[in-house]
Amino acid sequence: MAGIADLLEWARHQVASRVPKADLDQRDPDYIREQLPGTWLLASLYFRADVRGLDRIPAEGPVLLVGNHSGGNVPPDTFVFTLAFCSYFGVERPFYQLAHNLVVSAPPLGWLRKFGTVAANHENARMALESGGALLVYPGGDYEVFRPSWERHKVDFGGRKGYVRLAREAGVPIVPIASVGGQETALFLDRGQWLARLLRVDKLARLKSVPISLALPWGINIGDLAGHIPLPAKIVVEAQRPIEAAEVADGDDDVVHKKVVESLQAGVDRLASERRFPVIG
Amino acid sequence: MRVERRCVIDADRDTVWKVVSDPDCYPEFIASLERWERVTEGPAKKGARYTVHWKIGSVPIGGEVEVSEFDPARDLAWIGISGVSLRGRFRIRDNGDGHTKVIFRLAYESAGSLLGLIADRVAARQVGRNMTETLKNLKRMVEA
Repeated sequence: MAGIADLLEWARHQVASRVPKADLDQRDPDYIREQLPGTWLLASLYFRADVRGLDRIPAEGPVLLVGNHSGGNVPPDTFVFTLAFCSYFGVERPFYQLAHNLVVSAPPLGWLRKFGTVAANHENARMALESGGALLVYPGGDYEVFRPSWERHKVDFGGRKGYVRLAREAGVPIVPIASVGGQETALFLDRGQWLARLLRVDKLARLKSVPISLALPWGINIGDLAGHIPLPAKIVVEAQRPIEAAEVADGDDDVVHKKVVESLQAGVDRLASERRFPVIG
Repeated sequence: MRVERRCVIDADRDTVWKVVSDPDCYPEFIASLERWERVTEGPAKKGARYTVHWKIGSVPIGGEVEVSEFDPARDLAWIGISGVSLRGRFRIRDNGDGHTKVIFRLAYESAGSLLGLIADRVAARQVGRNMTETLKNLKRMVEA
């Protein structure tokens, strides 16, 4: 038993030591500018994406963008919104995204740091906002992104509401970002939380889910660690009305959280009602 | 990538220029305009700056532009100073019998080598459609 414990501790250390320290200076506007055409082609032709309501986002200053998350480990809503934000406000406006430790520490995904992606923790988030940047967070994280496809239009943060305290401490407004279509890029069957506990990756790698899905090119896809080829589902993203900094500062965590989730759910319901078919949109 | 569209309007050059040179008219006749904001105060003139975005494909494309030529009843040209590299021009000329020919040109270039070239080519069809629609709107506004 001691051998297994040592092995688990070694694995935990390996993951933790590979999480790069957040350095906001790694964001590279010229690199982003050069990637935008390829991203635009993918978003426009493959996902037929439609992004609306960007004028609701404050034109300058720090802001916390809170989205519902979909699409497993290949979430099209993130890159479609990043493309839209950078096109609308210019690559010069500082814009950061929080991502899971495993995402920012994976060597093949090192380029994400040039887009402004940093490891998801409270310190990094606060640093990004205090630097004056816009910050995109998905409080639902791996819990929400692996929800079953038949719950695709349900906003579910799994009770996480630390983002409200983050916005209050930084004194910034919250803009809910609603999206639909991402959970139709594969057939997600189960979050696999029981599997995560069985394999102890919940302790080792902060992975609360080892999802089970049907996805290209694997067929049955367990874990989704290597990603998958997403189906060309139509992605629609819409920024909702901001919740002003003063309202966040004066409100109780539960009240503000409820308002954010209700705003997101109303946005998702409205966008979902426009869809005639799954994937096709 | 360079795209050009033209039309003939049943009005003299000064009448056409009044609309083309008035930034307040742009949201009304520029097709697929997603964002149009003044950056500098005052009337349109050389050096005036605006933020302009067209909905092209999935997202708004554009940036800040600066008026580079302001030659009344002849030419209005602008260059992009942020976002996609962009040059645009309304060229206004007599077409006889009190008619005016309007030529609308846009030249743009995305960053990103090969994918940028492909994106420019793919976008050209929609850009061309927007320009055609813009000139139709302009003609309707001026002739009304």
